[in-house]
Amino acid sequence: MSVSEERSWTAAVRERAVGALPPEKLLADKQPSYVASWIYVFGVLSLSSLAVIILSGTILALKGPGWWHFTGIGHFFNSIHLWSVELFFFVMVIHLWGKYWMAAWRGGRKAVWITGTITFVVAIPCALTGYVSQQNFDAQWISTQAKDAMNAAGIGSFFNLLNFGQMYSYHVLLLPAAVVALVIGHVLLVRKHGVVPPFNVPVTTSPASHDGAGPGAQESAS
Amino acid sequence: MAAVFNLNHHSSVVHWHFFQMSVSNIVVIVLMIVVFVAAILAPFPSGRATGGSS
Repeated sequence: MSVSEERSWTAAVRERAVGALPPEKLLADKQPSYVASWIYVFGVLSLSSLAVIILSGTILALKGPGWWHFTGIGHFFNSIHLWSVELFFFVMVIHLWGKYWMAAWRGGRKAVWITGTITFVVAIPCALTGYVSQQNFDAQWISTQAKDAMNAAGIGSFFNLLNFGQMYSYHVLLLPAAVVALVIGHVLLVRKHGVVPPFNVPVTTSPASHDGAGPGAQESAS
Repeated sequence: MAAVFNLNHHSSVVHWHFFQMSVSNIVVIVLMIVVFVAAILAPFPSGRATGGSS
């Protein structure tokens, strides 16, 4: 078999990716009319908050603890980072409530629901490791208290909250990378399946999806 | 720089039987419920048929 006749893995990945997410679905310019509701806005608000978190966190990491503790502009970016996290969880919880009461796993969207839920769960330690990465007495107090909680829960042998280097690398690399990767997967799945319709609209998944006949795909409106 | 609110005191806690939660957490949860209900009931600006959302 010549090289030209072989099916390369890059072609297979491309065909699969374009089949699952053709450009008009990946970068859609129209949404169903039922999307014109405030409850559909909280997902994109979560994304916006995450962007501010990543940006402000990057600036804090560049400048270091002396800057964020002892300069006015450092305090400002420290506050931006804290309050964007507060906002992220605020809007993400409302997004979660909205999707829960809409039963957003209908129409073959269970992977969308699962990735969103896992993102929420991973985002919690991502935020909490920030408290122990502050480099102040507050962080010392929190880490000693949290250490006891982790030990009591039986998971204290896997990581050490008193180990600043470990917690800081969790906070600025491992957990944010996991959150961002999960969010990218979540958004791509939303693009693939489309946003979940209200209960009075027949449930369908998008025609181009490969798993359109998944559980709930034919579920009638209730 | 001084805080907007005086933070130099013990936190306020609501304690009723088994339930115990700081007032600040209760305020945030109540605010989330208010925003959630408002998001369902408040009219969405019309006149724009297209637009992305997740």
